[in-house]
Amino acid sequence: MTKRPPPGPVAVLRGHRASVTDACFHYSRPVLFTGAADGELRIWDIVQRRTVASAWVHGAAHGIISVASGPVIGADRVLSQGRDGTVKCWDIGDGGLLRNPIFTIKTNSYHFCKLSLVKFPSSHGKQNHNSFSNEEESRRAASTEISDERGGQTQGSLREYSHTPEEDLPAERLNYIAIAGGELSEVEVWDMRNTERVAKFPQNNLGGSQGTSTVERGMCMAVQAYLPSSSQGFLNILAGYEDGSMLWWDIRNPRLPVASVKFHLEPVLSLCIDGQCRGGISGSADDKIVMYSLDYSLGSCSMRKGIDLERAGIASTSIRPDDKIAATAGWDNRVRVYNYRKGSPLAILKYHHATCNSVSFSTDCKQMASASEDKTVALWELYPPQA
Amino acid sequence: METSRLEKELGLDEILVKVEEVISAISQAKYVGQVICALHSIALLVFPIDSSLVAASVDPCCRDQILRAELPSSEKRDYWWQVFYGGPAFPVLARVLLHDVACNWLACFPFTAQKHVYDIFFTSGIPTKVVHTLVPCLSYKNGTGPDAEVFLSNVERLLKVLLLENNGVLQMAEEFDRCQWESVPKKQLIASISRVAQLVASIPDKAQPRASYTLSAHNFFKRVICQLLLVTEERVFVSSDGREIFNGDGLDCALHFVGELFARICRRGYVDVLMSEVTTQMLNYARSFLSTSLPLVPDILKSHPGYFFWSNLMGTVKDIYAVEKMLEHLLLQLASEGVNELEAYCIIWILFHKLLKNQISIRTLFTDRFLLWKVFPVCCLRWIFQFAIFESPPNDEFHVEGGYQRQCLLDTVQRVVAVWSKREFVQSYPLEQQAYMTAAVGLLVVKMSKEELDGSKEVMPCVLQGISCRLENPSDIIRKMASSIALAFSKVIDPKNPLYLDDSLKENTIDWEFGFTTSISKDKAINDMNVSAIMPLRISSDGINSGTGSKVKYKRESLPETKMIDPDEIVDPATLGYETGSDCTDDDNSSNEISDVSSNTLLQPYDLSDDDSDLKRRLSHLVDVVGALRKTDDVNGVDQALDMTEKLVRASPDELKYMTGDLVRTLVQVRCSDIAVEGDEDSAEEKRQKALVALHVMCPLESLEMTHKLFYSPNVDISQRIMILDIMSEAAQELAETKAVKPKYQQNPLISVTSDSQPWFLPSSVGPPGAGLWKEVAGTGGKLNFLNPAIENLSNWSTHYERELPSNVNHIKQGKTRRWSTRSWIFQKNLTEISHNKFPIYAAAFMLPVMRGFDKKRHGVDLLGRDFLVLGKLIHMLGVCMKCISLHPEATALAPALLDMLRSRAVCQHPEAYVRKAVLLAASSILIALPPSYVASALVEGDAEILEGLEWVRNWALHVVESDPDKECYSLGMACLQIHNEMALQASRALELANNTTLSKVIDLPSDVFGGNIKIPRSIVD
Repeated sequence: MTKRPPPGPVAVLRGHRASVTDACFHYSRPVLFTGAADGELRIWDIVQRRTVASAWVHGAAHGIISVASGPVIGADRVLSQGRDGTVKCWDIGDGGLLRNPIFTIKTNSYHFCKLSLVKFPSSHGKQNHNSFSNEEESRRAASTEISDERGGQTQGSLREYSHTPEEDLPAERLNYIAIAGGELSEVEVWDMRNTERVAKFPQNNLGGSQGTSTVERGMCMAVQAYLPSSSQGFLNILAGYEDGSMLWWDIRNPRLPVASVKFHLEPVLSLCIDGQCRGGISGSADDKIVMYSLDYSLGSCSMRKGIDLERAGIASTSIRPDDKIAATAGWDNRVRVYNYRKGSPLAILKYHHATCNSVSFSTDCKQMASASEDKTVALWELYPPQA
Repeated sequence: METSRLEKELGLDEILVKVEEVISAISQAKYVGQVICALHSIALLVFPIDSSLVAASVDPCCRDQILRAELPSSEKRDYWWQVFYGGPAFPVLARVLLHDVACNWLACFPFTAQKHVYDIFFTSGIPTKVVHTLVPCLSYKNGTGPDAEVFLSNVERLLKVLLLENNGVLQMAEEFDRCQWESVPKKQLIASISRVAQLVASIPDKAQPRASYTLSAHNFFKRVICQLLLVTEERVFVSSDGREIFNGDGLDCALHFVGELFARICRRGYVDVLMSEVTTQMLNYARSFLSTSLPLVPDILKSHPGYFFWSNLMGTVKDIYAVEKMLEHLLLQLASEGVNELEAYCIIWILFHKLLKNQISIRTLFTDRFLLWKVFPVCCLRWIFQFAIFESPPNDEFHVEGGYQRQCLLDTVQRVVAVWSKREFVQSYPLEQQAYMTAAVGLLVVKMSKEELDGSKEVMPCVLQGISCRLENPSDIIRKMASSIALAFSKVIDPKNPLYLDDSLKENTIDWEFGFTTSISKDKAINDMNVSAIMPLRISSDGINSGTGSKVKYKRESLPETKMIDPDEIVDPATLGYETGSDCTDDDNSSNEISDVSSNTLLQPYDLSDDDSDLKRRLSHLVDVVGALRKTDDVNGVDQALDMTEKLVRASPDELKYMTGDLVRTLVQVRCSDIAVEGDEDSAEEKRQKALVALHVMCPLESLEMTHKLFYSPNVDISQRIMILDIMSEAAQELAETKAVKPKYQQNPLISVTSDSQPWFLPSSVGPPGAGLWKEVAGTGGKLNFLNPAIENLSNWSTHYERELPSNVNHIKQGKTRRWSTRSWIFQKNLTEISHNKFPIYAAAFMLPVMRGFDKKRHGVDLLGRDFLVLGKLIHMLGVCMKCISLHPEATALAPALLDMLRSRAVCQHPEAYVRKAVLLAASSILIALPPSYVASALVEGDAEILEGLEWVRNWALHVVESDPDKECYSLGMACLQIHNEMALQASRALELANNTTLSKVIDLPSDVFGGNIKIPRSIVD
């Protein structure tokens, strides 16, 4: 059977003047955020494929590590994380960027780890978010619990932002970001409402004897916060370290990880959790991609499939929200697409002529963006979802 | 006894009286009839002739006399015959017959009379006596004119009739066998036999050049040999009955005569005629013999009927030179006949076995002379070994046995190898000889055992030395010889671990011919036949295979293609609903499978083939290239850099100038064999060389600086030096072929002449190209006019001149159309010229630095000695450079220096042919490069340096043609001479032209220019 040649990108977004470090779709609008190594944040209209707005939101010397958008922060906002130890939140309500951020979180951490918003199991395929009631409840509970732990701190009143109310609902309760800490081997959870740190893993301030240390694991390189459906709303964190190991933390026990596995031999550079929060995919600096499954009830993380690569180095991984396919951004300039369920390769996309830094799917599963050091962002349309 | 002698004397007197009568009758005869009558009267006494036959053809007056003549009885006649030929009667009569009768009367003789009363004296006598009488007459030189001619042609005719038509040689052999010689002492007998043999053998030489075809040497000897072989055939049959034929002292006179005659024929240079006849006969014997008894052992051979005769015959040939020639031609003949090994062995054994046993000189012939001095086909070599060294019939599972044979083998090996291993042998012997010797060494070494090789002190080092000095030879064939020997040698040392120095040796048998096959043996032809008989089968079977293969393919193609599913196709909402439903409701295994299946059909993979071609395109700066090349541990990086270098260099970036040196050094020092995948070294090497050539072309001066430094540096090896020279010559050629477009500058005369057309007061026409003519523009003022009325005639003082000037080169005209460069303007004005050769300006930079100090022996560099390959390449490169600047003025400047280098003794008389070849090539290119006008002017002005150089080229080429052992050198020398003549011709033409022009201009040249004071090289005068 003759194979079809892999498709090319449907559009290439040019305009950045430095390596594009991260790309992120707006969760509901046809908008793409990209951040570059010179600190420039660009907002693209992916229908017209034009830059809508652009600003140097971080210092040119530091650059942007990641950009994030999601219902938890709101439709008119975007987060940018710079290598200057800050995370800034920007208002994009009137089509442009304001000069000053809405708020700035000074994490004082200088590393390569991209921040993570809290991911929660979604029932994808139902485009209307009205039926979120159950999860809403649990989320509400979770946020309550966290705030309880923080010692009865009242939920900060965020500024009102007018939008469709159904999207706003969960945001209030999941205003947390997970990020590698100032102590590089630690993971910290910050509350976006009051820009304060709420938790730290491992937590060793209560007599470090029984707590584990992660110092010997090296820097935290990748982190993902999520809410397993069966965790009763308690935040869980998956973190990848420099030595190739991955730790699973539960917010209720910040001293000891739920599970500790080591799938990789080189630093884990990217972690991604699927829509059901039952598994994920990890990429590292070695020549291996690992698909793993997470079982909350057993507290186990097991390798589902390991994929060997010809050339080492996966900078970023992403699973499409419908859990059908996953993509990796490789140091070998290629974006690889896999069947997420079976782990079989589907396509090798060659367009970039420099290292790929990031790959990301849109919420509607129709598009994929890949950001590369060659200063371009490519848009792809692959395996259109069945709706 | 006593009475018979008395009788003889009586008879002799009688016969002498009769002869006297006849002679006087002939001298007084007035008619031819009288002469015939006189001759008839004596012939009747000696020979049984039919008088009526003679009588029929003469005048009636004589007829009676002839018919009346009394016939003697047959006993009486035999007696008279004996007396006539035994004594002086025959010579006396023969003298009259040959001189007087032949000249005066013979032309008038009727045919029958000539036959029966004249020729009969010579044809029916004792052949040895007749020959003794006739042959000296051939060298009769008394007087010229018609008489002498008639005399000589008559003698020749008689000889022809006697020896060829009447089988005179056979008769002589029989005569020697007869008992009448028994009384003669052996010594005398031998002397007389050899005397007769010599006379017979000398006939073709003595016969006049215009002698008939039958007496020409080739034909004469051929027929003589046929007769002699008839003798042998008879003998073979006789001897097969009983061997008592040899008389007491073992001398068989006929045999001796045959042997002697064979030797004489060989001496006279007709051994090929002899041996072709002998070989044919021997081959017939051998074949009939071999067909009867198969297992071949010497004892059976001894029972061969021909053995006794032939081995004795060869024993009688005492002339070692003749034996050598015979053997040599026998071998060649057998080889060209394509006999098989067994037959050849059989024949050689029969002929030479006894000699080999009895005479040491014959053994040395086989084991020394034929191995070291001659060249035979390889099959002959096998026969020689089989016969003379192993001394056993050829078998497949043959092992040399017997201490004597082993010793002989060892001695021979030592002797051959000692010669073979010498470097001088490789340098100075023709290629055929080398191939032959190599084959000899190979065939002998194979037969040796490991213990023997270890045991002999000389063989092993000699073999190794010979191999090593051949391996570094520039010639392919010689290297192949070395690797063949190495393979054979290693098979002896360790049969399980053969040493393959050459890929072409992979098949098990070594071709010892090395492509020098001269004769196609029948065996081979048969083999070929077999092969060709087999081949069609194979081909047909191949054809069947391929047919089936294509069928299979066809089938595969015709298989219904599995339905391709377009991932972009719109999916039926029903299945979608089902899938999503099942996906959402439960995560059962079954449902998972179903969803897997459905997702499978959905998620059809694209083509997953991936190559890293795009990953290689990263290097875009020369700095990166140099860096990558230096990281030798990163094989891919180096490979990639090699890929890129040429393109980058050809793009000629600004920084190229500054990077060139580094780049050249790095490229030269890259080890291609290390970085390339096995089998891919060539492409890497090629890339490297191309890159270096590109560097030398784009940036000649900078890269040459580094190249020359590297060339004589001790840190590079021979291969790198050779590569450097290769790329230099390639770069030179490329530079010479490049077209460079440059603006033509209008040349203004250095001395401005005030021409007639332009008055002196006009401004000069000097200016930028394209300037218009001066135009007079009347001035406004005329104030000076009144001061001098005379000036009225001239132009006004205030008049000024204007002309149009083209815009400045750098000035860009503004307008609607844009010109991309100023060049197009130049094109418009047709002011460009295309130069075809960029090389001359760099020629000196290419050539001079390497020529300086080539003869210095320094650390790691010894061009004149060990590194002769580099020297050869160097000279070749210089020759190429010279060719590239041919007919440019630079050639005249560089030629003397190059000639000087070539003339140095160490170069032009280098022992290696490779160097000499290069010198010839370079010398030829100098001859081509020098402009004839330059040579002519050198002649006129007596430029000694260049003239001497040219003269030397000629002399040296002549010397090479005369005495160089190398064939290629010879042909190059011839070519060089030809070019020299051509150059001389051109130069003399130029000289003539110059003479004409100078004479027409009537310029006084110093008288001695065309006098005799300057030395014009002979070549040019020629």
